[in-house]
Amino acid sequence: MALDRVSVAIEQGTIHALVGENGAGKSTLGKLIAGVHRPDGGELRIADAAVDLRSPKDAIDLGVAMVAQELSLIGTRSVLDNVLLGMEPSRAGVVDMAAARALFDEVSSRYGVDLDPTETVGNLSVAQQQRVEIMRGLARDARVVIMDEPTARLSHDESSQLMDSLRDLARRGVTVIFVSHFLEEVLAVADRITVLRNGRVIRTSAAADETRETLVEGIAGRRLDAAYPARRAAAAESPVVLSVRNLTRAGEYEDVSFEVRAGEIVTLAGLVGAGRTEVVQSVFGSTRPDSGEMWLNGDRHEPASPHDALGSAVAMIPESRRTHGLLMSRPVSENVSLPHLRRFARRGVLRRNAELSDVSVGVDQVGLTGASVDSPMFALSGGNQQKTLFARSILGTPQLLIADEPTRGVDVGAKRAIYDLMVDLAANGTAILAVSSEIDEVLGLSHRILVMREGRIAGELDAAGATDRELMALAFGLTERELA
Amino acid sequence: MTADAAPVSVGTEGGSPDSGSSVWMRRFTEYGIIWITLGLFVFLSISSRSFLTGANLRNIVDQQSLIVIGGAAMTLTLISGNFDISISSIYINATILTALLYNATESAFVSILAGVALGAVFGFVNGWIVAKLGINSFIATLATSFVFFGIAFLVSDRSIIRVTDRDFSQIARGRDFILTNASWIAVAVVLIFWFVLERTTFGRHLFAVGGNAEAATLAGVRVPRTLIATFVLTGVAAGLAGALLASKTLSAQPSDDFSYVFAVLTAVIIGGTSIAGGEGAVWRTVAGAFFIALLTNGFNIHQIDPIIQRLVQGAVILLAVAADNWTRSRQ
Repeated sequence: MALDRVSVAIEQGTIHALVGENGAGKSTLGKLIAGVHRPDGGELRIADAAVDLRSPKDAIDLGVAMVAQELSLIGTRSVLDNVLLGMEPSRAGVVDMAAARALFDEVSSRYGVDLDPTETVGNLSVAQQQRVEIMRGLARDARVVIMDEPTARLSHDESSQLMDSLRDLARRGVTVIFVSHFLEEVLAVADRITVLRNGRVIRTSAAADETRETLVEGIAGRRLDAAYPARRAAAAESPVVLSVRNLTRAGEYEDVSFEVRAGEIVTLAGLVGAGRTEVVQSVFGSTRPDSGEMWLNGDRHEPASPHDALGSAVAMIPESRRTHGLLMSRPVSENVSLPHLRRFARRGVLRRNAELSDVSVGVDQVGLTGASVDSPMFALSGGNQQKTLFARSILGTPQLLIADEPTRGVDVGAKRAIYDLMVDLAANGTAILAVSSEIDEVLGLSHRILVMREGRIAGELDAAGATDRELMALAFGLTERELA
Repeated sequence: MTADAAPVSVGTEGGSPDSGSSVWMRRFTEYGIIWITLGLFVFLSISSRSFLTGANLRNIVDQQSLIVIGGAAMTLTLISGNFDISISSIYINATILTALLYNATESAFVSILAGVALGAVFGFVNGWIVAKLGINSFIATLATSFVFFGIAFLVSDRSIIRVTDRDFSQIARGRDFILTNASWIAVAVVLIFWFVLERTTFGRHLFAVGGNAEAATLAGVRVPRTLIATFVLTGVAAGLAGALLASKTLSAQPSDDFSYVFAVLTAVIIGGTSIAGGEGAVWRTVAGAFFIALLTNGFNIHQIDPIIQRLVQGAVILLAVAADNWTRSRQ
């Protein structure tokens, strides 16, 4: 359940922030108000009238515009064209350029948004593009603007400029709903703040009454105890499988150093965009670091491609199984065996029996339930799709398994099965480097936790004694003293 | 795509097992081209006496042999998510080179091998441009087509080359066992490409690259290498077809005629191989080629205006692609 009986009242002409950890429901709430998703129950009232939004178009007609994380502008066209797209003033189908320009200037001066209408949008910075998108909403008489993580891709200066223009909009009577996990920005710009956790509203209060510490407290809260398998501690003298030294890749991560030992589950935690996925992509050879060293079992590890990494017994479960993992229209068996075909081939010709018998061993090991190896991938549930990727990795008997968001989009039962699998693999000596945005999972599954923030490793926690508050403090850049 | 929310399917068809009519529809669309081609065959057998004769059927197969050779390879290209427009120009170059070399050496083996080798070289050029420079394959092979056509004009000095020794025509036209040699060679090529696609690691990599290149890379598939090999194979097939054409016609002539690639693409697409990549089969292309051949033959036998045939052929291509889109959107 993404949201559970949420009630929020947002006043006109204010900046109202929604905060929470990844998956707490803050973006979902924003999308409900913007008509992207529809609620299963409950009521949405805009300007005191109950509304039923069936699409973003309905929301725009009622004066609610959303600026999503992924901007929806046409990069090759001008600012003017983008702002007025779909509402160009025209006479007999011919765009009335003078009227279009007048409309643009009117919106621009009314809301104090300063943009060159003739500039090509693709030439603008992300910050300026966001303003184009805001202006697109304003041109449609938006009274409510929803900003979903608008500063995630902005530099510090750009963020503060955006904050200024949001304040300006609010002064002019526009209501701004600001979805963000950057607490300092939220505290600086918002009038009121709603804290969400596990799909529920924890509280809504005036920003003046909150501090970073109270927000983190509210965001972290006390969690449900999920059932995690017992972890067998890796022997302290077990050999180091992966060693990463001062690894840097400009714009992605900086000076990252860590080790993963055989039998250990090490998790990279932190906020989305902290550089965790980027680090594991370099370990797997998808990207190359600018500087720093990687060592695998005492040898230099410089994979030029995933093919190289797989050849050194490194396997990876990618973050997005649909776009980076699976061939959705091919059967399960082909998806499992794909990286290992050479093993089943004699002079390039596949021995199907050998392939199928190994595939069925792998599939049994991950407990693929209720699906046959002949089923096309798209017919499987998310949990079984994820297990298929595990079967693929296991078939290569990796010494290092990278699992990026190993349980994303799978149900509770499949989650537990995947945790069991990972703990078993570790117990049998595989080194596991995981990336996870779920705090429960990070604490429940790892032996050690490396928290990343803004491309750097902010700190390391021993999972045995770690608390969610310590983890949040590192992820958000607070000291423990500030929390206590 | 709603598989995330879908319950696990128990069937191997992967469809929605709750509805019998949808399973039936899936089977029909899966093997539709076979049913339609067989239906046309039965219809023509009944409606005309001259259709179901050895000579007529042998002719149909012979006429399609060169298209099937190119089509079997083009199926692989489409599955990899690419097009190869240049097979027309490779085909014409191979015809000229084979004719010239046969006149010079009188060796059928050397001259045909040269046509095939030329196809491999030109195919490598295509593959390298697509895989290493990352240029869209449709545009890249359209561009190389003009270069290759230009080479054909230069090599032939813009004139028709005639093969003087008529024995050379036996290579393609000779009849050893019911069918012409060209037909038997086409059968062999189809079997080889079917095997390569369905039974080798290369074939698997091809499906992976065309289905999801990103996922293929992360699964360790060397995508550029796979693409280059695909274009080489397509070039080889076009070179072989061109060499056989030289034997069939005992002449070679430079031109910038794209009709070969269009005939080949028509067969592949009517057969139901997806232009989106990642899905398709060699048998489909064979069925597509024979569907077109039967259509043409039927129109001829019944003395219907060939212009009508064009209209029908165009409509059939649209239907085939629409059916592909329809099955795709249901996934």
